[in-house]
Amino acid sequence: MRTRFPGLALLVGLAIIASACTSASSPSASAAPSAANPCAGATAHSGGTHVFPTDKTKWKIGVTTDVGTVNDKNFNEYTFNGAKQAAAALGAAVPPVVVPKDASELAKNIQGFVNQNFDIIVTAGFNNGQATTCAAHANPDIWFIGVDQGPPCVTPDGQPDGAFKCAGDAKTLLPKYVAISFQEDQAGYLAGMAAATMSKSGTLGAIGGITLCGPCVRYIQGFQLGAQKVNPNSVLKVAWVTTSDFTKAFNDPTTGKNFGAQFITQNKPDVLFQVAGKTGNGILDAACDASILGIGVDVDQALSYPNAAKCTLTSAEKKLLLATSTDIANIVAGTQKGGDDHWDAKRDGIGYSPFHDLESKIPSGLKAQLDAAFAAMKAGTLKTCPDKCGDISTLPK
Amino acid sequence: MDGLINALYSIPVAGVLFQLAGYLVNVVPDISPLILQAATPIALAALCGVMCERAGVVNIGIEGIMITAAFVGWYSGVLLVPVLGTTAIGPFGMSLALVVALGVALASGVVISALHAWLSISVRADQIISGTIINIAAFGLTGYLNNLIAKTSPNGAGAFTQFRPPREVTDIPVIGWILNMFLNQGPIAMSVIVLVVIFQILLFRSRWGLRSRAVGEHPRAAETVGIDVIRVRYRNVLIGGVFAALGGAYLSMEATNSFQQGMTTGRGFIGLAAMIVGRWSPVGAFGAALLFSSSTALGNSIKFSPPSGDLGTILTSLPDQVYDALPYLVTIVILAGVVGRSIPPAADGQAYEREAAT
Repeated sequence: MRTRFPGLALLVGLAIIASACTSASSPSASAAPSAANPCAGATAHSGGTHVFPTDKTKWKIGVTTDVGTVNDKNFNEYTFNGAKQAAAALGAAVPPVVVPKDASELAKNIQGFVNQNFDIIVTAGFNNGQATTCAAHANPDIWFIGVDQGPPCVTPDGQPDGAFKCAGDAKTLLPKYVAISFQEDQAGYLAGMAAATMSKSGTLGAIGGITLCGPCVRYIQGFQLGAQKVNPNSVLKVAWVTTSDFTKAFNDPTTGKNFGAQFITQNKPDVLFQVAGKTGNGILDAACDASILGIGVDVDQALSYPNAAKCTLTSAEKKLLLATSTDIANIVAGTQKGGDDHWDAKRDGIGYSPFHDLESKIPSGLKAQLDAAFAAMKAGTLKTCPDKCGDISTLPK
Repeated sequence: MDGLINALYSIPVAGVLFQLAGYLVNVVPDISPLILQAATPIALAALCGVMCERAGVVNIGIEGIMITAAFVGWYSGVLLVPVLGTTAIGPFGMSLALVVALGVALASGVVISALHAWLSISVRADQIISGTIINIAAFGLTGYLNNLIAKTSPNGAGAFTQFRPPREVTDIPVIGWILNMFLNQGPIAMSVIVLVVIFQILLFRSRWGLRSRAVGEHPRAAETVGIDVIRVRYRNVLIGGVFAALGGAYLSMEATNSFQQGMTTGRGFIGLAAMIVGRWSPVGAFGAALLFSSSTALGNSIKFSPPSGDLGTILTSLPDQVYDALPYLVTIVILAGVVGRSIPPAADGQAYEREAAT
């Protein structure tokens, strides 16, 4: 009886940590769907086959975001703004937007739009991938746009594939599910060029959130090649915050700052690229504290994380707004196809952010160099990822 | 001397241990301030646990108190900056807004603790349930308010900055790195060691400490010698709340200058583990928190700059997951009784009921 309470206490604690982990807003590559049916709750809309309006101002577009806020200057905000812009161009109503309180509401929010017979449902972020796939499977006759959810990975019967075998052909199984993906290595390449140009010591650093994150690996692979292009002697040190814990990897700035500070102390980079979401915000803080430069990821982080703007050189960007608005316009115009919708330099789907506060410190040739590299990517003549693209074993330690 | 070193190298195990010691001497001084920073919120959570449980109240709600204080402190900063400005008024980048916001954060911790105290002491509800409720409510509420209020993701009132000890101090041979560890810190991290020492002495050497421990071990006996059990328990839980709130404020006001939903990521619970490993004493709990954070830091260090020689080969050939698991493995080893049994206060977790005066 005596020792029961501490034991019980820890047990309750662990249970809560476990539930917090599963509800964390992070890419859910760990989404080994809990046994039975990952799509429980995703049902078809009522009233027979969906009919799209002939009048393009009557299209009903809905946006469901990832956990967080709409105005996060990040995935949620740029996805929503893309939908808003597309709706305005069509003359349609401003799209309603719903924000989930936690990960358990992702599917419910999508289902809400399905039940109201919306024509296009836009879901923001990798976290929404499974729920969107389920809804698209149950409703093959309405359009879904999943931002940062491509390439879709489905089983032969069109369900999300937790085992990542991806045996099903999403294009034919889910013909109206547009899963947007980005060429992360190209954005990383541009960031790498900027980093190597600004580095005095030639030692660069990159910190990824979790080793399981394929896009993170590609960002850093591109970063390495871009840096070597500018300075073949530059040395890149790579580290991963964790190998297993998604909350720590993407939602824990305190850990990020501590980890980043230790990385800087021991590896002594003078430019540091973060690929770790909000954990990475702490890494940018650590870069500021150590008076070195940081490079942000996904969106313009000088705007999304103003705390570290003074030492954020640039960010390796995904053009979320452009991808979302273009796809909506294409759907209404009848030219959009389902499946993996890939955005690379050719479609202006990636890029680098303005230098903001650091503009005056940038050597005059850098912009021209970056633009030339971008043009070469557009022309398809620039290799931005090693042969084993997405394979973590190609990266240095 | 060389002969001795060669002799040591000739025995593989001794050689590897020798290399390990050399590696530690090499890397630990550089990262020692970071180890204390990572230990700070855990140690404060553990201190909260010690305060409560020594008086017989189990507090599972530490995590909830921390997240609440982190949110309240950060958001008070957001509200106070336009009113009070950001002019520095003291060391550590202290501005009036920041100091007031910290005060509000600590007050919020006291309020939440008061709820726990009322539920578990006065109402005599199950203490585990009460703490769990606090955790769930705090996570939901801070997340919801963060969504609702922080639409424009405003800056807080800034963060406490670190004191940078002069090189002359940190370069002192042998003890320089220890001074660096405790001085190269912001105010909250620096205060931890002070709080730990003070409360270690108070708990085991003062009248208050004796009464607290008596209430935690045998409340009925304490009551018969005239100690007001209810009052002692309330006071300790409220003091504990201040510690947990300080740990939460550390996350959003010193380590970073922002609030993230669920940013405590289990530190309150790890604090409880530190409390148990440290056998319900402030110094022990602090040591356990340091043990956890240094095993993480050491795991990172091996990733960043692996040692050379046999040791490097051994350590780098282990999968990364081993280092992620290191703090937990250490906990299991210790809890399994390797360093002796860890025995909680006898009345820990039991509600106290005065005998009815008929």
